[in-house]
Amino acid sequence: MESVRALVDEGIRAYVAGKIPEARRLLDEALRRDPRNARARSYLLLFQGGEVAAPAPAPVGGAADPAGYAPSPWDDGPAAVATVVLEAEEGLDLSAVAEKSDLRPLVPEATQPSAPGPGDVDVWMAGARDLHALGDFSGSLEMIEKILKVDAEHHEAREYLRQNEATLVAMYESKLGPLACVPRLAIQPEEVMWLNLDHRAGFLLAQIDGTVDFESLFALSGLPRLDAARILATFVDRGVIAA
Amino acid sequence: MSDPGPVIGIDLGTTNSVVATVRDGVPRVIPGRGGQLLTPSVVAVAPNGRRLVGALAKRQAITNPGGTIFAVKRLIGRRWGSKEVEDARRVLPYDLVAGPAGNDVRVVLGGAPVTIQEVSAQILAELRADAEAWFGQPVTRAVITVPAYFNDGQRQATRDAGRIAGLEVLRIINEPTSAALAYGFGKQMEKKVVVFDLGGGTFDVSILDIGQSVFDVVAVGGDTYLGGEDFDRRVIDWLTFGFARDNGGIDLRQDRMALQRLRDAAERARCELSSAAMADVQLPFLASAGEGKAALHLMKQLTREKLEELTRDLVERCIAVTERTLRDAGVRPAQVGEVLLVGGMTRMPRIQRAVRDFFGREPSKGVHPEEVVALGAAIQAHALVAPATPGAEVLLLDVTPQNLGILVAGGYFQTVIPRNTTVPTSQTHFFTTVQDDQTQVRIAVLQGGGERAEENELLGEFVLAGIRPARRGEVSIEVAFDISADGIVGVSARDVDTGLRQSITVTATSGLTEEELRRILDENVDELLARKQTGAEFEEARARAAGVMREIEGLVPAVQAALERSRFGRDAVQKAEGVMARTRQAIEARDAGALGAAAESLDRTLQLFRGLARGGPPPAEE
Repeated sequence: MESVRALVDEGIRAYVAGKIPEARRLLDEALRRDPRNARARSYLLLFQGGEVAAPAPAPVGGAADPAGYAPSPWDDGPAAVATVVLEAEEGLDLSAVAEKSDLRPLVPEATQPSAPGPGDVDVWMAGARDLHALGDFSGSLEMIEKILKVDAEHHEAREYLRQNEATLVAMYESKLGPLACVPRLAIQPEEVMWLNLDHRAGFLLAQIDGTVDFESLFALSGLPRLDAARILATFVDRGVIAA
Repeated sequence: MSDPGPVIGIDLGTTNSVVATVRDGVPRVIPGRGGQLLTPSVVAVAPNGRRLVGALAKRQAITNPGGTIFAVKRLIGRRWGSKEVEDARRVLPYDLVAGPAGNDVRVVLGGAPVTIQEVSAQILAELRADAEAWFGQPVTRAVITVPAYFNDGQRQATRDAGRIAGLEVLRIINEPTSAALAYGFGKQMEKKVVVFDLGGGTFDVSILDIGQSVFDVVAVGGDTYLGGEDFDRRVIDWLTFGFARDNGGIDLRQDRMALQRLRDAAERARCELSSAAMADVQLPFLASAGEGKAALHLMKQLTREKLEELTRDLVERCIAVTERTLRDAGVRPAQVGEVLLVGGMTRMPRIQRAVRDFFGREPSKGVHPEEVVALGAAIQAHALVAPATPGAEVLLLDVTPQNLGILVAGGYFQTVIPRNTTVPTSQTHFFTTVQDDQTQVRIAVLQGGGERAEENELLGEFVLAGIRPARRGEVSIEVAFDISADGIVGVSARDVDTGLRQSITVTATSGLTEEELRRILDENVDELLARKQTGAEFEEARARAAGVMREIEGLVPAVQAALERSRFGRDAVQKAEGVMARTRQAIEARDAGALGAAAESLDRTLQLFRGLARGGPPPAEE
C-alpha cells in the first residue's frame, strides 16, 4: 500500500505541476494496484470532461509563471498558419460557400462542456482538501474558486477560501520582509521591458519609485491583498525589486 | 512664559499645498517627510480602509474615484445649491450632499458625509506634521492664504479647518498679496503689480496697488476651471488617440489603471518640457490586449513644440482672461510695473512668452512659482510674531475682503464699508424712503463686488417698521455698520426723527454651527489623546506578540515532525522564523505600524502551526 500512496502523491504533484499525462499515468497505475483508492479516483475524475487543463504559463499577476520567462513561441505550435492563396479578383466568401454546401469541417467542433453539477463540486472539494493538506494553497484556492462559481454559499469552500487566502498572503508577505520597507527597482529601467507582466503587475511595478513602502503599495494598488502580495512576492523572487 | 514654538505659512491650494517658515531671517519651504516640497491637496480612503493624504492619495485618485476627495477648495464655505457647488458637482467624481441644515456642503468619504472643513483640516494636519517633523517640536500657529475673492464665509471656513487641524490661525491673507510679499514688495515702493497665478486647477489674475506698505487688491479675474490639469488632459488625449490608432482602437481611458498611469506620465512629461525640448513617455505593460495575450506598451516622445500645439488655445484663454481683467479695472498693460508669475504651470516657456508679449515686459521669475505664496505667508507669520526682527518690515493689517453694504431702490447694491478697510471700523450712511407714506424699510445686508444686489451675497436682513408717514425722501434713516476686531458685523438702522431703531448682528459663518465645530474639535482631541495612548497600546501589542511567538516556538518540534513526513512546506519553520524576526525588529524600532502588520502574520503562522501540529502529517492512504 505504501507504493500506492507514493504513486498517488507523485500523481498529485505531477497534476499540480501541470503534467497531466504523467499524472494520469501515475494515478491509473495506483488505481490498477488498488482499485478502491478514492484519492486516485477523485483526481482521475478531475481530468475528465475537460474541466482541468494543464496550467498554461501565464504572466505575473495571473497564475504564477515559475520560469519567469516569456512563453516560447514553439510551445504554441506553428508560428503562423499555412498561407491561403485567394483569387486575385474578389476571392471566395468561405462562410457563404459553407452555408450552401453539406461540407463539414474535418475536425469535430468542440462540444460545449456540460454545466458543472453537485457531483463535480464534491470532487473539487475533495481536491481542495487534498491540495491544502499537501501545502499547495494556490491549487486548493483554484479549486475553491471553481466551487464558489457554482455554489457561492458553499460553507466548507468559504472556510477553505479564508484559510488558503490567509496562508498565501502570509507566505507572500513573508517574502517581502517588513511591510514598512520601501522597495526599489533592482533592475535597470530599460530591462523592465524584458519582463513578462500583465497590465496589473505593470501598474504595481510603475508605483515602485523608491518612495512608497509595501503597506502603502497595497493601499495604492486597489487590488485584493492576495493579488498584490502575489505580484510583489514574484517581483522579489525574480529580483525585479529589492527592499 | 513657555515658548509658543515656531510659526508657519501655508498655501492651501486647490491642487497642491505648500508649507514654509522663516528661519534665521530667511524664508524657506519646509520639505515633507518624504522630501517633497509640494503636497497634493488630496485625501482618500483606500479600498483596504487606509486613510491617505497627499501624494499617495493622488496616486490612486483615478483607480479609486469614489474614495478620493480633491479640489475641496472649490467648495469650502460655499452654500448648497449655489452656482459654484452645482458647477463642481458636474465635474467631481465623488459624491456631494447637503449638510443637516441644508445650506452647506458635505462630501462622502469612506461611506460617511464629512464637512469640507474636515477634509481641508486633514491636508493642513499633514502639513503641520511635516513642519513638526522638520522643526522637531510642536507647531501650533500659522498664517494661511486664500484667493483674494474669498468672502467672509469662505475665510471663516478656512479658519475653522485650521482649528480642526490643531492650528491657531493668526491671519488669513490674500494669495496675490502673499506672492508680492515674497518678492519683497511693499517697502519704499509704489507700483501696480499683476499677479498671474496659473495653478493646477484654477487661474487667477490679480491687480495690486502697492504703496507705503499697503497692498490693495484692486481687481481680480480668472477662470476657476483652467489650470495644469487641462494641459495634462490634452497630453493624455494625444497619447490615448495615438495608442488607439496603433493598437486596434483600444481606448485607454476606459481602463482606470492605465488612465492613472497616463495622468502621472502626462504631468511628468509636461513638467520636463519646461526645461527640455523633448520628453519620453514610457509606460510598459500599460494595457491588457485580451486573454492570453501579452500586455501592451506605450512608448512615445513628446516634444515641446507638440505640447505647445496641443495647448495653444489654453494659453490664449489665459491671455484673454488677463486682458479682460485689466480692461475691467481700467488698467493698460503699459501701466503695470511688475508681473509676478505664480503656480507651477507658469514654468511653461510658452506661457512666459505669452505673458511677456502681452505686457511688453519680462515677468519676474526670481522666486519659485510653486513656492512663492507659501513663502509670503511665512514672511507674514514671522512679522506677526517677531515684528522687530529683520525680514518683518511689512505687517499686513486685517482688512475687509469685500465691499459691505445694503440693498437700495432699483435692486442696486450700495457700499457702506469699502473693500480693504482696516478693521475694526464703523461707518454711517443716511438713506431715505422711496415711496410716499412708507412706514417700513427692509435692510438687506450684502457683501460682494457686484453693482446689482443679486450679484452679491446676502449676509442677513431685518425690517425697520413704524417709520413716520411722510412724503418720499423726507424721512432720514441712519444706517450704521460696525465691524469688530473679530470680524463680527453689526448693522443698525435708526429713524432720525423718531429715534426708532432696529439692528442685526452678522457673524461670518463657514457653514458649520458652533456645536458641530465643537464636536469635530472634540473628536480631534480624542485623536490626539489616542496618539498619546499609542505608547500603552504598543506595550500591549508587544506583550501579545511575545506570547504568540512563545507558542509558535513551542509548536516547532511538532510541526517539524509533521513536515518530515511530507515533501511539502518544509520551509514553513524557516518562514515562521522570518516572521518572528520581523516582529522582533518592529519591537526594537518601536514601530507600531510594523508591529501591527507583523502581528497579523504571526497570527496566521500560529493558526497554520496549530493545524499542522494537531493534524499531523498530510493525510495517510485510505
